[in-house]
Amino acid sequence: MKTSFPVAVAFLTGMALVVSFFFREGTLVGDLSKNLKIWLTIVGGFTLLLGVVSITRVNWAGVKRQKSGWGYKLLTLVSIFVMAIPSILPASWSPLFGRAEGSIYDWLFTYLDSPMMATMFATLAFYIASAAYRAFRARTVESTILLLVATIVMLWRVPMGEAFLNLFPGDLPGFLNAFVMNGANLAVQRGIIIGAALGAASMSLRIILGIERTYMGKG
Amino acid sequence: MEFWKRIEGIDRRWIYLIVGIAVIVPFLLPIPFPISITPEAQMLYDHIESLPDSVTVMLVFDYYPSTIAECEPMARSALHQFWRKDCKIITLSNIPLGGPSMAETVTREIAPEYNKVYGEDYVNLGYKANYVAVLSGMGTSIRSIFPTDNSGTNLDDIPMMDSVFNYEQVSFIFEVADNATADYWVSIVNAQYGVPMGCGTTAVSAPKYYAFVGSGQFVGLLGGMKGAAEYELLVEKPGNAVIGMGAQSMVHLLIIALVILGNIGFFMLGKHRRRVS
Repeated sequence: MKTSFPVAVAFLTGMALVVSFFFREGTLVGDLSKNLKIWLTIVGGFTLLLGVVSITRVNWAGVKRQKSGWGYKLLTLVSIFVMAIPSILPASWSPLFGRAEGSIYDWLFTYLDSPMMATMFATLAFYIASAAYRAFRARTVESTILLLVATIVMLWRVPMGEAFLNLFPGDLPGFLNAFVMNGANLAVQRGIIIGAALGAASMSLRIILGIERTYMGKG
Repeated sequence: MEFWKRIEGIDRRWIYLIVGIAVIVPFLLPIPFPISITPEAQMLYDHIESLPDSVTVMLVFDYYPSTIAECEPMARSALHQFWRKDCKIITLSNIPLGGPSMAETVTREIAPEYNKVYGEDYVNLGYKANYVAVLSGMGTSIRSIFPTDNSGTNLDDIPMMDSVFNYEQVSFIFEVADNATADYWVSIVNAQYGVPMGCGTTAVSAPKYYAFVGSGQFVGLLGGMKGAAEYELLVEKPGNAVIGMGAQSMVHLLIIALVILGNIGFFMLGKHRRRVS
């Protein structure tokens, strides 16, 4: 039952969505598709809730046992609920509740969450510079080609670099756009996109037919 | 040789310091360099210009606060261009962390400049989980997925939504994304419902989306802060992206210089021979 029920649900819902694609709205099957998509957004909402429950359980256990770094776990828990609770409460109770301008959530998002996330991302520039200096080496022919092309594209993507490229005869920036980005890059990306799409289609089919069961924790 | 050994083993904190200086100095002493417009940015701008006035468009805030520097100037410029054409704008997000808030902040900031009123000229649908179902479901009925807007007002009570039911009433979608949601907008909304789309994305994601420009599924593409700066210039509203070009130029040049320096040391110390053998 533990295995056959999820497989049956996956088969029925998967097939319903596949078949309903060929039916117009207003027909029994077409409307079924519409309702299933609404269910999917509801299920998606519950998965978020599951995430909150899971992170609370894991971190609370760490705080209770005072494991190493329990202070951070406590801060995580406080942050989740301080941010979430005022945003869930109706704005009609107080202008501090809800998610509108001037609410607690808005204040925390604008002045804490947003700058912190931007700062974390910005530190990448420092690590990239250091890593490029230490690791980006012309060891083989392939890595030398990659290094040369990456360097020229990096130059092209900023005004100072483009001004430098324009010192050379011919339209180097135009060449890079036409033959590197819209040539070699485009061809490779198409191959990757088509390959990934075929992989996703075959994986979906395996799940619908019950061949792929790793989503249930089984091999 | 001793010099190259010292260079090779340089403390990474010196590199961090130089990067910090390279970022800060251009903001204090701006060096104006001409910013050229790439064909992809021009195509996006031209397509939006060619839309009939007052049509309904979607502006999608699919980026996290971490990439505000690259993505927000794109969204701001799009708002300027859309509202100059008196377009009705629907904003939404598939990003739970901040997407709807960023849409709210940016639209409310720019709307007074064009005398635009919430509910009549623009609406923020907010966020709903499971983007595949959201994008697909809106093709049948926007109301079935978003019964209310971001602040909980019923869509039936919003005048602008009186004549908007699904993608058939949407003339253009501009997706500003820092993640793979753009792929789903292409495969679900553009491919299945035929809505023309443009995309603005981070520099690291942009190479992938040239394929969709080539296939005509994106009418144009903005890549990273350079793309945002190009768009700011096209809409004649130079802002943070244009200002940021100085810092980005310096850091790109610095990284190139570091790569060259690192490779010279690599060869001078004979490490290439050891690696190959």
